[in-house]
Amino acid sequence: MLSFPDLRLDRGRIRRTGRRALPFSLGESIALVCLLLVVIASILGPIVSPYSPIIPSGAQLLPPGSPGHLFGTDNLGLDVLTRVMVGARTSLFAAVVTTACTSTLGLILGTIAGVVGGWLDNILMRITDVFLAFPGPIVAMAISAALGASLSSSIIGIAIVWWPLYARLARGEVRRTATSMHVEAARMSGSRGISLVLRHILPSTLPTVAISASLDIGGVIAVLASLSFIGLGTPAPAPELGLMASMGMQYLLNSWWVPVIPGLVVALLALLCNYTGDGLRGVLRARGV
Amino acid sequence: MTPVLDVSEMSISYGSRTPALLAVSDVSFTVDSGQCLGVVGESGSGKSTTGLAIQGLLTRDSSVTSTGSITIAGTELDPVLETGWRQVRGRKVTTVFQDPMSSLDPTMTVGRMLTFVTGSKAESLRWLEEVELRNPAVVYGSYPHQLSGGMRQRVMIALALARRPALLIADEPTTALDVSVQAQILKLLRREQAALGCGIVFVTHDLGVAKAMCDDIVVMRKGRIVERGSATRVFASPESDYARHLMESRLTMATDRHRPVGLPEPTVVSAMVEALNENRAVDEDSAAPDATASEVAVPDATEPPAVTAEWEAKALLWSRFRPEPAVRDGEPEAILEFAGVSKSFHTGGGRRGRKPVLFSVSLRVEERESVALVGESGSGKSTILRIAAGLETADSGSVRRPRLHADDIQVIFQDAGASLTPWLTVGQLLTERVRNSKRGGAKSRAEIDELVGVAMDRVSLDRELLRSKPGLLSGGQRQRVAIARAIVIPPAILLCDEPTSALDVSTASTVLNLLNLLRHSLGISVLFVTHDLAAARVISDRILVISDGRIIESVLSEDVGESVSSDYGRRLLDAVLS
Repeated sequence: MLSFPDLRLDRGRIRRTGRRALPFSLGESIALVCLLLVVIASILGPIVSPYSPIIPSGAQLLPPGSPGHLFGTDNLGLDVLTRVMVGARTSLFAAVVTTACTSTLGLILGTIAGVVGGWLDNILMRITDVFLAFPGPIVAMAISAALGASLSSSIIGIAIVWWPLYARLARGEVRRTATSMHVEAARMSGSRGISLVLRHILPSTLPTVAISASLDIGGVIAVLASLSFIGLGTPAPAPELGLMASMGMQYLLNSWWVPVIPGLVVALLALLCNYTGDGLRGVLRARGV
Repeated sequence: MTPVLDVSEMSISYGSRTPALLAVSDVSFTVDSGQCLGVVGESGSGKSTTGLAIQGLLTRDSSVTSTGSITIAGTELDPVLETGWRQVRGRKVTTVFQDPMSSLDPTMTVGRMLTFVTGSKAESLRWLEEVELRNPAVVYGSYPHQLSGGMRQRVMIALALARRPALLIADEPTTALDVSVQAQILKLLRREQAALGCGIVFVTHDLGVAKAMCDDIVVMRKGRIVERGSATRVFASPESDYARHLMESRLTMATDRHRPVGLPEPTVVSAMVEALNENRAVDEDSAAPDATASEVAVPDATEPPAVTAEWEAKALLWSRFRPEPAVRDGEPEAILEFAGVSKSFHTGGGRRGRKPVLFSVSLRVEERESVALVGESGSGKSTILRIAAGLETADSGSVRRPRLHADDIQVIFQDAGASLTPWLTVGQLLTERVRNSKRGGAKSRAEIDELVGVAMDRVSLDRELLRSKPGLLSGGQRQRVAIARAIVIPPAILLCDEPTSALDVSTASTVLNLLNLLRHSLGISVLFVTHDLAAARVISDRILVISDGRIIESVLSEDVGESVSSDYGRRLLDAVLS
């Protein structure tokens, strides 16, 4: 059974916490360091590695710890470590791109809705309602299936279902800020239109959206892997983590490392991203924004 | 006789950082039964920490450390250790807090809360009667949100006194209340104290309240007691410089409104020197040949020591700063005129009702005139200001601002901290104001910097602060930044919405002095909204008393004490503590 992370994320977790003495807790600092290590490994690893991720390089199904193959090899004799590193790089890159695009799109549309208000606000918000009414992952599946199985269609699929969340968030924040006293004071001092929005309103929504985006990267990694797992990513033998896990499932009983290692890497990436996002939230909140 | 409260050499510091923040340092005092001790100080003086410590409310926080001891009715206690407090807190010591809404349990009726303490309904009703609630039976069955602020505070007092405590802590009990309610609550506290004979520790920032209420006073500053003595003595002849400064800054109906308030302050003095020099420059420009005349008009007192000395000698009049008005022909021009303005707000809900807040209000502010609008919360005074500013529109009636466009009307809000965009620097905020101004056409970078610099001088802020963000400034500095932004392009009228009520006494007097200086030297009209008749009297030429959306009367500030004739106006007047 596939299990997607719930796209109707609990926004309550972005609480207005009090100032913290130490922005990064110990756990979050460890997560940040680990994430940096993983990022470095996934960028340098494939370059340093003597093996290709798609050309067999040894005996089939060698167990982890075999000489020359730290994580062993899969059913085709491909080095699992090399493939996992390339897969992690693809995952991270795709997740960052997806989150950056969706949050920017959501921020722009949400700000417009919040500032302009009236019928435009109504139309935009009803559109978000439509998207939020459907179970996100299923719509994402349908879209990427319709566009043909590839990584870019997965990204597009996720982006289309994910932006309404950011639009909602940005709109709420904009509307809250727009009624605050400093905006009124700025209006009295003669600021109007775009400059009022850019200078006095938008800066308060940026941190909220940035925090939310950083927390969502982990979730996007998991959803991307899920889409790849059910065959909606780049077709085999591409080194994608979800695909590797699904292709390796048949070897689970005899050669557990083939599906389990890519699965663990997905879990690890998602976890590290989430922890780091939490830390980032602490930093931004501590700065009092 | 042993005192009910004996605080000896108490020091309290917060936080695990080194050095820890010393909030209270070596404080000792005693309170006898039947005595009321006022703990007076401005924000950051440590008075609230002292108040919390003697209630035993600092024992939960492990980051607080202390030395010294507190003895309450014979029990010796440690300010930060829980041992022994349980027998004392809420039994021998009870508290009346500042905000009764948040300290009364919203899920319980008044009767239920009170009966926990008294044990019987009859006794509870007796207490509600005791605190002069008009309809005890109704209040008994009410929830806190159904009562007014004053009624809630009375319930709070009943709850605190029904325990028959040896010591009552009153922690700013009237700060959140309207002035006329405040007077009643103080009277009630005094009467109850006489009846029960308990000691009272009265923590407050309001000197008038302390004077009206307390037998003895300790004045705190930066965690230390700087002055102690009987209230009459401390108010009549304070010994320490700080206490003297505080007492002088206090506004009463006897404050001389033609002179700066309080003792000479370097900030205001330097702004005054700036203003005098500007005036003289103007005079010399316009009347260069007539050198003798200009020297008579502006005696050579434009050095800070001279101005300070003159102020000290109470010889400095505001009229000094007023440049000779241009020759007028006929009636003075109205800058702002309301004729029959009404306004109501949606109350929402199912009934789609509208709550009227203003009923056919007419008022007129003339050129160079300063008008104060005095009323209590809910009177509609802020709504008038917001309509004048164009932030709200009137439902009916006309608002005339004859020759005004956006550049000519500026607002100073109550909460300066909230009215400055937190992520922009002071310099950016002021520059933006200049850029947005249509007056005088496009300006070069240098011209803008010059205007901004002059505005900073006028409110006596260091130009270095242009690079800081508002969050790093103190409350008084923020309010001065807000003023600088409002006057960097001098408006025709300045609308002030309680600009001093969130500030400490001494900071408030600085802001009032600056506003007075600017209105005289720049010839700006002012509409000043406040609940404080004493402040209104100092800043304005004319006072309008407003109640329930109607302007009740208009009196000249000069003789407000004698000429107020309406019942409501008299009530406000009585509420100003002498």
